[in-house]
Amino acid sequence: MTVVESRPRFSGMIDARERVTGRVGYTIDIELPGMLHAKLLRSISPHARIARIDTSRARSLPGVVAVITGADLVNQGDLFPWYGPVFRDQPVLAVDKVRFVGEPVAAVAAVDLDTAREAVSLIDVEYDELPAVFDVDAALADGAPILHEGPPRLGQTFADVIVNASGDSNICNHFKLRKGNIEQGFAEADHVFEDVFTSPAVQHVPLETHACVAQVKAGQVTVWAGAQIPFIVRTQLAEIFKIPATRVRVVVPTLGGGYGGKCYPKIEPIAAVLAAAARRPVKLHLTREEEFVTITKHAMRIRMRTGVRDDGKIVARQSICHFNTGAYADIGPRLIKNGGYGTGGPHAIPNVWVDSYAVYTNIVPAGAFRGYGISQAAWAYETQMDMIAERLGLDPYAFRQQNLLRDGDTVMTGEPMEDSHFGELLETAADKIGWDFNGWDVPPERHGNKVRAKGLSCIIKGTVTPSTSTAGARLNDDGSLDVLTSSVEMGQGVKTALAILAAERLSLPVGMVSVSEPDTSVTPYDQQTSSSRSSFSMGNAVGIAVDEVRRQLLEQAADLLEVAVDDLELVDGAVQVVGIPKPALTYGEVIRRSRTGNLLGNGTFATKGGLDPDTGQGIGSVHWHQAAAAAEVEVDLETGRVDLLNYHAGVYAGRIINPVQAELQTEGNVAFGVGQALFEEMIFDHGQLQNGNLGDYMIASIKDMPKQIDLNVLEHPEANEIHGIGETSLPPVMPAIGNAVYRATGVRITDLPITPEKVLRGLREREAPEARSAAADGSAR
Amino acid sequence: MTALGPALSENPAMATPRAADDDGRVSVTLRVNGAEHRVRVRPHHTLLEVLRDDLKLIGTREGCGIGMCGACTVLSDGAPVSSCLLLAVLAENRELTTVEGLEGPDGGLDAVQEAFVEHTAFQCSYCTPGFLLATKALLTDIPDASPEEVKDYLAGNLCRCGSYVKILDAVLDAQQRVQSGRTGAESQ
Repeated sequence: MTVVESRPRFSGMIDARERVTGRVGYTIDIELPGMLHAKLLRSISPHARIARIDTSRARSLPGVVAVITGADLVNQGDLFPWYGPVFRDQPVLAVDKVRFVGEPVAAVAAVDLDTAREAVSLIDVEYDELPAVFDVDAALADGAPILHEGPPRLGQTFADVIVNASGDSNICNHFKLRKGNIEQGFAEADHVFEDVFTSPAVQHVPLETHACVAQVKAGQVTVWAGAQIPFIVRTQLAEIFKIPATRVRVVVPTLGGGYGGKCYPKIEPIAAVLAAAARRPVKLHLTREEEFVTITKHAMRIRMRTGVRDDGKIVARQSICHFNTGAYADIGPRLIKNGGYGTGGPHAIPNVWVDSYAVYTNIVPAGAFRGYGISQAAWAYETQMDMIAERLGLDPYAFRQQNLLRDGDTVMTGEPMEDSHFGELLETAADKIGWDFNGWDVPPERHGNKVRAKGLSCIIKGTVTPSTSTAGARLNDDGSLDVLTSSVEMGQGVKTALAILAAERLSLPVGMVSVSEPDTSVTPYDQQTSSSRSSFSMGNAVGIAVDEVRRQLLEQAADLLEVAVDDLELVDGAVQVVGIPKPALTYGEVIRRSRTGNLLGNGTFATKGGLDPDTGQGIGSVHWHQAAAAAEVEVDLETGRVDLLNYHAGVYAGRIINPVQAELQTEGNVAFGVGQALFEEMIFDHGQLQNGNLGDYMIASIKDMPKQIDLNVLEHPEANEIHGIGETSLPPVMPAIGNAVYRATGVRITDLPITPEKVLRGLREREAPEARSAAADGSAR
Repeated sequence: MTALGPALSENPAMATPRAADDDGRVSVTLRVNGAEHRVRVRPHHTLLEVLRDDLKLIGTREGCGIGMCGACTVLSDGAPVSSCLLLAVLAENRELTTVEGLEGPDGGLDAVQEAFVEHTAFQCSYCTPGFLLATKALLTDIPDASPEEVKDYLAGNLCRCGSYVKILDAVLDAQQRVQSGRTGAESQ
């Protein structure tokens, strides 16, 4: 159901003019008086003991102000030079050992970049190589070198994190989910299918690479950073400097893309300790090549067993998930929970068993990435859904519809499903793509050397629960409203969304609302700008804050007008007496005449929930994000190339705040997914990244987009809940395309990406038996 | 011509070798957005660095540093070039245009900018100046470009937020705006 409101909705971005004139300011644009430029020396070894570092030649280069190493930070004595959002396992600069190629080893601050670069080249490091592991099998083998010995160093972390780590192996963390009785479930099944799916590490590639300007002055550490989670950066800098959080200030200008890659501290600790050493402001801005060795999406392997009855009902699913989390934990210990429970899928399965592991290896750390584990999980279960449908001779659409979660079913984490729209989304997807399944034996539509076919998928994604957002609202004496928030604008349009929500709530034009940039010294706490939660969570906090302002405004106006509050209403920036359709007092007049200066409101919105550490049962998500997709592909049988003819993206939004932004986020997910489906993959050789630049690593261009895109951003305003849509329509892309490619070619690819080479190899393997039998018949090809 | 403009041997800036000062810098005169700027740069500094660091024109941004993403696109004598690949010393005697040069003297937006606002053809907008300038060049090079020609022309500009659907809409809209503007001018 798509609702067309009679009232025109604001659609666009409030700072559009700044964005098309190049004036919107990013962190890279910040300059401070006396500011120095930083460059890093990075490890060339995947695993080694640092035998010796000589920085003397760098220090004596004219123009160099500071050179620091990990040993310097330890020896200084007044710092705690480790960080990490769950485990404090990552040194600000390598201490004693390096654990991946690209790990920062030393940092230089100099008067300009040329000098800093030259100084870095003058630092000598001697490494004693250690045995290294690059994939989960090697990392978990007997006798494997252990990356982090001893129990993990814990610190303040997110409420939903479950830690189950001993520190005596390369298992960084282990998440367990036990729903129902898995043995009984498989016993009930008439068929059990077991398949393995893999997806590679990929990079976020925000066009603005990580940047940070840091200043340490009068006992105050200030960083301007492209950081999605300013309050975690603040907490961790306070830990590093051993100072109260109030002495750390994190300011976040708009981001040139984030996609999860700018969650949690990344380069801020280095910039801050370097600024402290230099006693001058420092700017650190990574090159594209450095960005590639900063953080990645987790490479993952899932072994999935699914038990199905003869009637098509899924009764059991067991998933063993191995996430390659790289050399440092980052958010891996938490992400394996979402990726792990995510394998339960949008299906009503009574018996589910998941073991999900984050595994340390000597490659670039993996962390949050748009989709947050669900892309990997959905690639597995939505591919397997089609594989099972074929083995049982079922229509993949009907097989999905039969098993989708409906209201009242229990989701994999044990809570009842509410506000479910999977069936509706999938039905629309099938309709819009022209789903025409006539059996698995029917050959695909063929045009010369090209074959065409369609594929479907449907996914479920949670949002972090429990979670907390707080906000402030200030109505000024000219009737304008300031919204104080720490939500980070990164292109998703959160500032515009919050302005719209605040304006609606107080009957103001959107143009009368300003939304702050995060500044931890001024703006109230927010847990994170990620997990597709800001419109929902911060939107609710802003609503509560504005309601408080509204209450005060009505009380003051009632006093001034000598009427009861109940006799007043707010209309377009003015207070009216009910029944008298003209402004009695403008908001500004109320504030000026009541001499309140301004009206202040605070809002706190917190959700409850969390999972049992032993069973993974509880409340996994305050509400469930839902999406479905349909793809029509054309595959060239001579080259293996996959072209996208038509694509339908369906996503449940609950209520749309900003229509064009809702479309942009969904179209953006398609672009993101097309890259991951067809070509994105970080290729490592002995821990050395082989394609860490935009010449060798492709991201989707305008020509890679599907020729036709159709969107269904589904609204059910009566449910009265906003669902974030920043990520939900991404995970369906890869399996929808993979399933279509299979139906077109008979080539089932279970390891992303679906490259022309893999398709061709699959086609040849399929042809080979025919060719052999043809040769046996003596007929020439 | 090369992808970067005239071949080095044809570039008048190369005709007279200049001695560098003690800091390794040479004097370069750049013509940007109609104004002349004299800057002292090291010979390895790219036009991108000089635009941002010396001229403080921050709308031009680095995305990849190797000419693959288009975020640093500027116009050189009307042709789109990657300013991360063009040495500043070779950019003399060219008419350079950055995003800051698109607005009219009265602050009015160019038709391409207007179309991008109208369609919200951006998300984080880091890539937007590059797209705007490439589109300016497209509208001159191929005034009646078909959607497929637009895609071919803009394939070297990357938008990681994936705003491509709206970008295509905006470019086709800008094409209409420019054409109707021309028609209007001709009919007067």
